[in-house]
Amino acid sequence: MIEARNITKSTKEGVPILKGISFKVEKGEFVGILGPSGAGKTLTMRCLNGLTQPTTGEVVFTDHRNHAINLTRSQGKELRRARQQIGVIFQGFNLVKRLSAIDNVLIGQLGNINWLRSLFYGFTDREALLALETLEKVKVAHLAHRTVGSLSGGEMQRVAIARAMYQQPAIMLADEPIANLDPSNARKIMQLLKPLAEEMPIIGVFHQPEIITEFCTRIIAIKDGRVVRDGGNGLTRAEMLDIYGAEWSEMEAHRPRETPPTENPLHQAPSAPGRGLRPLPA
Amino acid sequence: MDYARYQRKKTIRKIWVVAGLGFAAYWAAVSCKVDFSALRRGLPKGIEFLGFMFPPDLAALAELVNPALETVLLAFLATVFGAILSFFFALAAASNVSPPWLRNASRFLLATERSLPEIILLLLLISALGLGPFPGVIAMSIGCIGMLGRLFGDAIEEINPATLESIQSVGANRWQVIRYGVVPQVLPSLIINTIFRFEVNIRLSVLLGAVGAGGIGYELFYAFRLLEYQRATSAILVILALVFLSEKLSGLLRKKVAPEIKLR
Amino acid sequence: MNLVIEKPYLPSQRYKRAVTYLLVFLLVVVGLCGYFGFDPRLFITDFHYLAELMGEMTPPNFEVLWRKEKVFSSILQTISMAFLGTLIGGTLAMGLAFLAAGNTSPHPAVRAVVRTGLSIERGIPNLVIILVFLIAVGLGPFAGMLSLVVGTVGVFGKLFADAIEGTDGDPAEAVYAVGATKWQVIQFGIIPQVLPSFIANLFYAFDINLRAAIGLGVFGGAGIGYEIHMAMKLTRYQDGLALIFFTIVLISLFEKVSDYLRRQAIGQDVLK
Ligand SMILES: Nc1ncnc2c1ncn2[C@@H]1O[C@H](COP(=O)(O)OP(=O)(O)OP(=O)(O)O)[C@@H](O)[C@H]1O
Ligand SMILES: [Mg+2]
Repeated sequence: MIEARNITKSTKEGVPILKGISFKVEKGEFVGILGPSGAGKTLTMRCLNGLTQPTTGEVVFTDHRNHAINLTRSQGKELRRARQQIGVIFQGFNLVKRLSAIDNVLIGQLGNINWLRSLFYGFTDREALLALETLEKVKVAHLAHRTVGSLSGGEMQRVAIARAMYQQPAIMLADEPIANLDPSNARKIMQLLKPLAEEMPIIGVFHQPEIITEFCTRIIAIKDGRVVRDGGNGLTRAEMLDIYGAEWSEMEAHRPRETPPTENPLHQAPSAPGRGLRPLPA
Repeated sequence: MDYARYQRKKTIRKIWVVAGLGFAAYWAAVSCKVDFSALRRGLPKGIEFLGFMFPPDLAALAELVNPALETVLLAFLATVFGAILSFFFALAAASNVSPPWLRNASRFLLATERSLPEIILLLLLISALGLGPFPGVIAMSIGCIGMLGRLFGDAIEEINPATLESIQSVGANRWQVIRYGVVPQVLPSLIINTIFRFEVNIRLSVLLGAVGAGGIGYELFYAFRLLEYQRATSAILVILALVFLSEKLSGLLRKKVAPEIKLR
Repeated sequence: MNLVIEKPYLPSQRYKRAVTYLLVFLLVVVGLCGYFGFDPRLFITDFHYLAELMGEMTPPNFEVLWRKEKVFSSILQTISMAFLGTLIGGTLAMGLAFLAAGNTSPHPAVRAVVRTGLSIERGIPNLVIILVFLIAVGLGPFAGMLSLVVGTVGVFGKLFADAIEGTDGDPAEAVYAVGATKWQVIQFGIIPQVLPSFIANLFYAFDINLRAAIGLGVFGGAGIGYEIHMAMKLTRYQDGLALIFFTIVLISLFEKVSDYLRRQAIGQDVLK
């Protein structure tokens, strides 16, 4: 579906940030990316939908019709057509604050409809109804006509997810879709994304290892611009130490012990403030 | 002592500034032909003249309604044309929408426009197109573009580029990004500044009218010329009413459209 | 659950509304244009006149700037008008502002009178003021300068008064607390707070007055505005273009200079 082939990215001054990232994501996968802050996760995601051009390497995206598009080489119309099929949930949502929630969702289809129509007329009643149904799926249909600027962080997050869903992409990129959410809302969002991953692969960046191990089918860790781990679900202590460094174990040592995790999320005790790392098997 | 030296330095600087201002003011007064005796002699003349101006010629008021409306129309048309055009100039002048060369070119053009007083523009246009409302509207529209173009451009530059990027990310083209990312974000500020500019244009259109664009300004100017001072008073009253009404109207509209936005 | 969008929010309804507003607006514009015999098509049909004028104006005859002594002195006149208008008008505005501000005015009645006077003054169009001064002191830069004084007092008197009313009461109270008189309170408690913004605004006033001085010159028979007026009237178009170029340069230059001086005088930006 989407493949990153040894992408690197340096700043204008020549400081390398991404130092060769490769992976391939197929249908049915729910990939969780983790890594310390500043590791280059957001930058990798940006390369995946062509918002940033990698310095070397390439990104190849295969669309619905099995048509391979090289995102690093394409421009203009072709790039736009590829982007239409890649849904993105941004770190920080980046919605249009002065438009209503439903209008923000409708924006998801801009790449698909006739652009002249979208300039002078806008959207049809049918499209609006579909958008409303999408909002209903993420449980915010009642906020459809509120301006996004007046919504809470969690509500904006849902609108951003609805926008990506309404776009009906072939693949979804989600950069920290549950950051800034309280633990129970974070779970609810993950439970929304999980079934979606069966229709389209999802690549998500998460900072909570326990969430990743619970929901994702595959875990990629990025550290210092490199993939340091790429494999199935389940993280060991040693791996966590490797990814987050010595500070992680220190942090863990000072964490208050909490109730052991249970399968039923409703029984989950509210986790301690902070990143909410749960002790992992050695 | 350091502090004493600092104080002394400050005092010396103050003396320099005052002396410089005084010197400049003296020569400016010479160049301006400042003549207070003329003012003293003129004042009684002015007061006597004020006597000629009263009472206002009420019969003329009815005749002045049409020119007044014409002035309003000139201001209105200039505001509409100017605002629409300045939106496109602003797009070109915003760094998050257009490439650097276009931005710099547009900013330079806008700055040049702002440095050119509307009345000079009008003189230029009158030489080409003759007297009448038409050059007045063009001159004011161009003046509008100079000011609104920059204000709008600044407003557009304040939009978070991440928002525009997120619209790009669904595969929208440049115009769609503008329609759905830029327009809704800046519309309230555009409307408010446009309304404010309408107020400015009303005053301006009175002034330009006197040079030859017609309307109430022209009536006033010619009433003075023809020594019909009572008629001039009526014209002044009409102008005051116009200015007052346009201020009230624009204040009202502004509150209605976007109470939370401040004028820039 | 069946989802419905209420009628006013339906896209089709929204567009119907927008189109209606737009049509009404267009109708008003077209109607007004028709009523006053104003034909926007003229802009296209008459455009060649503009192009012709441009042709006649180029190349600009820059010689006029130094060949004719009168041009040079008229430039000085324009700058002088703006400078004196700002200096005198600004000084008067500051004085009146203390009378018009609630916390420094000697009496509420004085405040009310001065405020009303200022707002009436602001309402009088420039054109009226210059015409009255032309009658009082005759054609020339002096009349222009006087009307700039009046304009500056009107606009900046109110601005300054609002600034004084907006000052922080604590420093003033601290000065009162040590047993100072009202004058001393103004001198030590209020002036230090408002002076930087006053100075910044006076620079701003100069920029405005310079433009206005050019415009007033056309009526007052003085300054560079009048020279341009005459050049265009006498169809010396190449001279006219040179003068217009020069005006643009002059205004941009003074904007930069006043910006620089303002930074020097007060350190940072406190405009309005
Ligand atoms: N345009 C840019 N110019 C220079 N440096 C940049 C640029 N964009 C990103 N960086 C740097 O690249 C590094 C990786 O950034 P990135 O946003 O990908 O981090 P991240 O892994 O997403 O971190 P976080 O978990 O905090 O979101 C950071 O050090 C950042 O400062
Ligand atoms: Mg990030």
